[in-house]
Amino acid sequence: MKQITAILLLILVQSFAFSQEDYPDLKEISKRLKALDKNSNVDLSTLTKTEGGNDIQVLKIGKKDLDNKPAIAILGGAEGYHVLSVELALQFAERISTNEEALDKTTFYVFPNMSPEAYAQYHNKLKYERRGNASSLDHDRDGKLSEDPYEDLNNDGIITQIRVQSPLGKYAEHPEDKRVMIEVDTTSTNAARYKVYSEGIDNDKDGKFNEDLNEGIAFNNSFTYNFPAFEPLAGNYAVSQKESRALLDYLFQQWNIYAFVTFGPANNLSSPLKYDAQEAKKRIVSSPLEGDVTINKMISEVYNETISQKAFMQENMGTDGDFFQWAYFHFGRLSFSTPGWWVPEAKKDSTSTSETKIKDTKESNFLKWAKQENLEDVFVEWKEINHPDFENKTVEVGGIKPFVMSNPPFSKVDSIAIEHTNFILKLAQHQPKLEFHNLKVENLKGGLKRITVNLLNNANLPTHSELGQRSRWLRKIRIDLSAEKDNIIAGNKIELVSKMDALESKSLSWIVKGNGKLNLKAGAPHTGFAELNINL
Amino acid sequence: MKTINYTSLFCLAIVLMFSSVSQAQEKFFRAIGTPHEPKVEASWNRYNTYAGIVDLMKKINKAYPNLTRLESIGKSYEKKDIYMLTISDFKTGDPDEKPAMYIDGNIHSNEIQGAEFSLYTAWYLTEMFGDLEFINELLKDKTFYIVPTINPDARDNFMKEPNTPHSPRSGMIVLDNDGDGKAGEDGFDDLDGNNHITYMIRKSPTGQYIKDPQDDRRLIRVAAEEKGEYEMLGYEGMDNDGDGEVNEDGIGYYDPNRDWGWKWQPDYVQRGAYKYPFSLPENRAVADFVMKHPNIAGAQSYHNYGGMILRGPGAEEDKDTYNREDVRIYDAIAEKGEEMIPGYRYLTVYKDLYSVFGGELDWFYGGRGIYTYTNELMVSYLYYHKNEGRGNQEEELKVDKYLTFGDAFVDWKEYKHPQYGTIEIGGFKKNFGRAHPGFLLEQDAHRNMAFTIYHGYQTPKLSIINVEEKSLGSGLKEVTATVYNERLMPTHSSQDLKYKIERPDLISISNANVVAGMIVEDEDFNKVKEQVHNPETLRIPNIPGMGTVKVRWIVSGSGNYKVDVDSAKGGKASWSK
Repeated sequence: MKQITAILLLILVQSFAFSQEDYPDLKEISKRLKALDKNSNVDLSTLTKTEGGNDIQVLKIGKKDLDNKPAIAILGGAEGYHVLSVELALQFAERISTNEEALDKTTFYVFPNMSPEAYAQYHNKLKYERRGNASSLDHDRDGKLSEDPYEDLNNDGIITQIRVQSPLGKYAEHPEDKRVMIEVDTTSTNAARYKVYSEGIDNDKDGKFNEDLNEGIAFNNSFTYNFPAFEPLAGNYAVSQKESRALLDYLFQQWNIYAFVTFGPANNLSSPLKYDAQEAKKRIVSSPLEGDVTINKMISEVYNETISQKAFMQENMGTDGDFFQWAYFHFGRLSFSTPGWWVPEAKKDSTSTSETKIKDTKESNFLKWAKQENLEDVFVEWKEINHPDFENKTVEVGGIKPFVMSNPPFSKVDSIAIEHTNFILKLAQHQPKLEFHNLKVENLKGGLKRITVNLLNNANLPTHSELGQRSRWLRKIRIDLSAEKDNIIAGNKIELVSKMDALESKSLSWIVKGNGKLNLKAGAPHTGFAELNINL
Repeated sequence: MKTINYTSLFCLAIVLMFSSVSQAQEKFFRAIGTPHEPKVEASWNRYNTYAGIVDLMKKINKAYPNLTRLESIGKSYEKKDIYMLTISDFKTGDPDEKPAMYIDGNIHSNEIQGAEFSLYTAWYLTEMFGDLEFINELLKDKTFYIVPTINPDARDNFMKEPNTPHSPRSGMIVLDNDGDGKAGEDGFDDLDGNNHITYMIRKSPTGQYIKDPQDDRRLIRVAAEEKGEYEMLGYEGMDNDGDGEVNEDGIGYYDPNRDWGWKWQPDYVQRGAYKYPFSLPENRAVADFVMKHPNIAGAQSYHNYGGMILRGPGAEEDKDTYNREDVRIYDAIAEKGEEMIPGYRYLTVYKDLYSVFGGELDWFYGGRGIYTYTNELMVSYLYYHKNEGRGNQEEELKVDKYLTFGDAFVDWKEYKHPQYGTIEIGGFKKNFGRAHPGFLLEQDAHRNMAFTIYHGYQTPKLSIINVEEKSLGSGLKEVTATVYNERLMPTHSSQDLKYKIERPDLISISNANVVAGMIVEDEDFNKVKEQVHNPETLRIPNIPGMGTVKVRWIVSGSGNYKVDVDSAKGGKASWSK
């Protein structure tokens, strides 16, 4: 009996430990990473410690000759408030680490959380959607450091908004859902107008609220493509932070990565990026190149076949200084990004009585959807407070709670993670694949031999993105014949090929002297290698 | 009585000491413009290796502890210290709070003389301090941060290892230049073992060249229908990796002057960019130092070749960064420079040279708001006071015949090449062409230094020239202070103002009961702008060059108040009642 109780207790404890009810905190993430590291297919390493003292880690997952297999890099925590992204990256790693068949062909790099300090704000006592790390940054560049952060005016532990009734205000209540504030336009009738700010005090009395936050640089604002110099959360120059530098230093040494999947706010998977001929022709290339847009389209189709959620209000195709665009424009790799989840379109409300057509805003759609899903705890009802900056005025605190519009309820995460793991596996199946075909050795007079063979890229993806062909950070396909230089009468001992298209083949030939065995090898780390033994 | 005795004894000793010194120096008569009795002996007609540079910096620092600070601002890729000499009159204030001029050289490793020009500046300023009122004043007001070489590794490689005049240019990180997966597997080979990489030529029935019968150093191209004797095979080297190419993958290649954090672009936009801004340790050391020293208001970087005083923008795409107010100041300083350095022209990088993204001067100005020039040292003009253009072979052969007497050229000599067969090797040495010959070095160093001194002199200088008091009755007083900037440069360049790069200037009143504070925009018509929050310390966006800013406080009560100005790039000044 005692034993049974003990076992029952053990089961109970275990199920507690493994059935998470909310997004994990940094400690729990660390535990899961360590558990993963026990798998022989997984190698966990630490790239750096952030200014805030958190480890930036990478999981390298694969088998045998990891560095010479095409690789996909998966990145979570591009934005700290997007806690889902970390869970998706983690679950991908957990699911893939035992998938021996996939690991035979592809190496995976998983960067689970690039914004640990911002991420931690989800679990902190004061919760708000944070982007910046722990470094010091004078966001409004007035010579004073973080002098105007948020304040939790209603002491509920979360930062929402304040609204102030004022004829000078630019906002009014949404006619269908009075909780939602919408911008007034000239069609608005005599509804009460409000000023809307984020929750806080104007500490430095400059008329702006919370413009110099207690946080530093946002990972997803700090890269070199269209770097927003001197803007809040971006800093003085690109790649200025330990974590961004450590990540890039690491990536520049991993020659086998051919594609990135970033779990972040940008979305070029629900629908592909557009080609703009004029922008693509500039020397500072500002549109994806035509061939790469074609690839994006193909992979986007794969995504939409795999992912059940329909795209809705997915307009973010990249923002200045973000990681996803860097990976393509400045690193030359195929780069895909998805938030993983977004607020779906709420069903039309049949009970609506409003006669004028009021457009759904993101917020009103969210609240409608949340109601249909019976989600509670997503809104802080407007409630009057005393505010030192607005004496004798009606000031209320309230609004949609942080995180809920970017992250689904945790119960939905498993199915999202499974679908996205499947998508990445399908992406891997399209990776470049070099093969030799039709080897022929002909005997010529005097012991000379002519070798002919076809090299085929047996894949739906080219070996190099169109932009990647221009980059020195993608290696060329190198073809090596092991014969002595002096024994090669015709043909190259070493030949470099800058790109092979999907299903492209290339015929190679040599005239060589001598007998015995030769080895022929072709490839690059990001395409994998084909090898052939030739008997002369 | 006793005191006098001791004093006179002491005086006697001093007199004896000095007379012995002056006796030893009687062999020399002072030349105007040059330190006459330098504590640190230095020659300005030769080049220094890294060890030589450090040695001289240490000597200057040891000789002038009250004028210099020697520090390493970081380590190079090969872990050499990157040394900086800070030069200022340390007794007249914290050098890191005075308006400062930053000077470096040698970012391109083969462009060596920038280090000597920087060193000459450090030597001249320290040796002349005490001799010249102008220099005393300059070092009282200003600070010079001088880093002779920001590429110490490859500087030594250029000097000690076989190179052309154009290599390595990058630092010592070895990259895969031909994309074959191997890094640095096929660089130059010094076939004739003379530490210079010169040219290979070969006799060939299809050759297009002959040796000039009057000067066999010179190869001339024959007319299209004529038969020549030689073909050119390029720089000394072999195919070391068996890929059929010669010298295709040596040191580098990357360009340290494409690695800076303003509008940086990757390698496919411009060959030479490395991984991301400041991905090279030498540049990162400089950037870290500059970020921590907002008092730097002017900067100079030395390159070669061409006799140019360059300003940005480096690329047409960045044209709008340089607006009219700042260009006016750039023009004023550089046009003076053109006069000081005959043969040098004031040019704009993107228009007159070529496109550079992420160059050093772009970051100093675009990223930090610092007025910055790059001088391309050495120019044909210095040889015969004619401008014969870059790499003019005729002129260079003449120089070597009549001025350097054959020191600059390696005569053609036969060599058995494993791949090309019998060839000849020869040509100009690596230390000719881009580098000044010794006899031209000191003069050009002095002139370029004079330009940087003028530049440094024109960094802002603030003073409170006037404080007026007016009674407003009921115990209230109106205090109006005028702050004057008596130099060309404003405390904030317009680029600085546009992005708020540096904090505002602070003009504050202490020991007074402040009722209100305001900036006076037009005194005659009493146009003022009140600062409601914390009026004791008024935050002034900018104090213009050769201009004034007026501020006003309404104070109550009486007291000996004090007015202070505190500007990151303009230094400090104060006024007390």
